[in-house]
Amino acid sequence: MKDTCHQIPKQLVIRREKAQDCVVEKLGSISFTLAHRPKRVIQSSCVKQPLCHRGTTIFSRFSISSSIVSVADLVVPFPGETLSLRCGLIWCEALIKMVGGGVIQQILRRKLHSPSLATPVRSWFSSKTAHVDTGSSGVRAFALLGAGVTGLLSFSTVASADEAEHGLACPDYPWPHDGILSSYDHASIRRGHQVYQQVCASCHSMSLISYRDLVGVAYTEEEAKAMAAEIEVVDGPNDEGEMFTRPGKLSDRLPQPYANESAARFANGGAYPPDLSLITKARHNGQNYVFALLTGYRDPPAGISIREGLHYNPYFPGGAIAMPKMLNDEAVEYEDGVPATEAQMGKDVVSFLSWAAEPEMEERKLMGFKWIFLLSLALLQAAYYRRLKWSVLKSRKLVLDVVN
Amino acid sequence: MNGLLSLNRKHIFLADDEVVDPKKYLEESCNPKCVKPLLEYQACVKRIQGDDSGHKHCTGQYFDYWQCIDKCVAPKLFTKLK
Repeated sequence: MKDTCHQIPKQLVIRREKAQDCVVEKLGSISFTLAHRPKRVIQSSCVKQPLCHRGTTIFSRFSISSSIVSVADLVVPFPGETLSLRCGLIWCEALIKMVGGGVIQQILRRKLHSPSLATPVRSWFSSKTAHVDTGSSGVRAFALLGAGVTGLLSFSTVASADEAEHGLACPDYPWPHDGILSSYDHASIRRGHQVYQQVCASCHSMSLISYRDLVGVAYTEEEAKAMAAEIEVVDGPNDEGEMFTRPGKLSDRLPQPYANESAARFANGGAYPPDLSLITKARHNGQNYVFALLTGYRDPPAGISIREGLHYNPYFPGGAIAMPKMLNDEAVEYEDGVPATEAQMGKDVVSFLSWAAEPEMEERKLMGFKWIFLLSLALLQAAYYRRLKWSVLKSRKLVLDVVN
Repeated sequence: MNGLLSLNRKHIFLADDEVVDPKKYLEESCNPKCVKPLLEYQACVKRIQGDDSGHKHCTGQYFDYWQCIDKCVAPKLFTKLK
């Protein structure tokens, strides 16, 4: 009989009748203990007796949370912790409201099949009424609070020293491709590629981009072919077993300035100019960071001196970056006649880098919009269908055998 | 302090010849909005002027000032760019 009492899920089926249940069960349980009368409705026998002995309907609604508290009791080392259990109860109630209880019921069902349940429930019950160990729980809570305060204070003092270490936080610029249905500015990508080619490619590789990727995005096929043909590419062994060079094709990758990382480091004072194929995804808040970095070269603050060979940039973590300021007004002459100011070049090159890192963005946004719309319709349909099917159960009435 | 507002860009917009970098222009126009952090920075510079230990610096105030400027410039900058 005891085991059937802990089959909690069954009672949830008649959750609506909980209020009446409780009152009825109060009487019912009394008769049960006196006369050992078998219950007519099995579910009602599974209502937690401690619940109803509370005498409040509030606890009947939070039957799940109480069972969680009893589970918490299993993990809490000693049952005298009234304070933490109460906090746990409140937290659990909030959690259940949010989660909806479905998963938690599963977990509960498994956990509460353990035979050691009876004692924790009783001990929780006794601890609620006894309040014996309030002293130890109070000291424990105070110790925890003290630890928390010290942690907070130490964190705040450490954070102020980390300012330069993390770099100045970059602002959020209103990129034209930011909206939920906004595409790239392809004219900007074209200009940005020009900036990359003329300014950045001398040090930075973009080894994941091929010339064919530019077709239809920034250049026509003929233009891309012509661009590719300007470079020399080493190709595989010929019939005589020798490597040979040939003009580039659309299928070739963008040329690398250095043969390998060691060569790159050697040529740049030990610093490696990173590959830019994924740079806007490889840095936190990448687009804004790269733009701020490129246009953010300033004189260092008073008291900061940068060694020879490095340059000050507040956005760079640590402040000392190996790259000098590369974007200067009119360093590039744009084909379309747009004035090539530093900010303009920065915007264009970051648009190009954003495209290079996320070429699928436009297709992704279209797909996302389409499928979110369709799935919301499906959600409405599913919700209606679920409620239609469940209406049979939700509108039924149960007649209990009331003890007179 | 003298490095904060370096003016190595052209003020005058000559037709078809010289251009004004919009970002620098906006940073200077946002200066009045960020007077308070600027004064803090200048006060810090004055404080550490006599220091020779090399450990004192005004990065905090510098960051506060430039963060204020950035916040002011960022929404407006792209309207000035193509």
